[in-house]
Amino acid sequence: MTTALVRCLLGALFIYMGLNKTLHPVEFLKLVRQYDVLHAPFALNLVASALPWFEVFCGMLLVLGVAVRGTAVMLVAMLVPFTVLVFLRALAIQKTGGLPFCAIKFDCGCGAGEVLICRKLAENILLTAISIGLVFWRKTSLCLRHGLL
Amino acid sequence: MRNTKTLLLEVAFVAAAGLIFALAANALSPRGLRLGRNYFPGGEKLSAAAQPVTNATASPAGAAPGNATAATIQRLQQRGLQVIPHNEVAALFRDPSFQQGLVVFLDARDDDHYQAGHIPGAWQFDHYHPERHFPVVLPACLAAQKIVVYCNGGACEDSEFAAVMLRDAGIRPETLFVYAGGISEWTTNGQPVETGARLSGQLLQLKP
Repeated sequence: MTTALVRCLLGALFIYMGLNKTLHPVEFLKLVRQYDVLHAPFALNLVASALPWFEVFCGMLLVLGVAVRGTAVMLVAMLVPFTVLVFLRALAIQKTGGLPFCAIKFDCGCGAGEVLICRKLAENILLTAISIGLVFWRKTSLCLRHGLL
Repeated sequence: MRNTKTLLLEVAFVAAAGLIFALAANALSPRGLRLGRNYFPGGEKLSAAAQPVTNATASPAGAAPGNATAATIQRLQQRGLQVIPHNEVAALFRDPSFQQGLVVFLDARDDDHYQAGHIPGAWQFDHYHPERHFPVVLPACLAAQKIVVYCNGGACEDSEFAAVMLRDAGIRPETLFVYAGGISEWTTNGQPVETGARLSGQLLQLKP
């Protein structure tokens, strides 16, 4: 039962974060550009338009309890590189601003507006740990279809 | 081994179904982005001067938040755009040619920001949705001798992209000017703003 609650909360969080971005796609597009990783207009647009809805989709699967392990692997595959990118961006901001690392606050495009970097990193590590847990826990309570195959 | 294969197949299914869902949702959403459009004409690669201002990268001590920095001006010049300082913008605002339509102000921000307060008489030109604005903005720009484009000021680049888009649409470059200080410099200097629609008559004097 606890696993089901954790799974639903994680799913709800991804739906919330994803929908926040879909409501303001241009703002999200600008934030993606700030990472200075993608330069081709098509690649930028693809990430900025598809990623938020992809998060909503994964969130829905978790809440419904469909393909839970596959979705959890997908979340880890998104969370790890995003966390690295946010960390590198914060380091770059620290280099120009000269503030203590944990005092750095910026909108990372994560869906919750401006956040303190250390809090964001801790949050992402926790979400990654929960997602890894969902891959191995294999609890099927309140799941429509825990495994697809 | 079989377990791993099953898991990988499930991951592949989630990835494929999720991508299809995401692309369809974006295509159907009225706020959706167009994949083939270049939203940052001339600025695909982020320049050092385009780094956002956060509380961690605050303006130099003593600088007003809206004041155009040397880096911003340099970036504008690299993009082949003319910069116009605040005092000249304020003079143009009071010039009779503004009332005659020979001087045009363009606000390059989104609906919410424009409605909250723009330079009185400025047209909205949100370049992320050019189809909404081109029908009225292009004729006004073609008839003008000076076009002043602005956005929030600071790290905001929307006025630059809007100016590049207008230049690409055939507006003479010598008529285009970017007010890099933007609305924040405008209000900091005690100038009035108009709320709501263009020529709504609702003027506000924001305190610096």
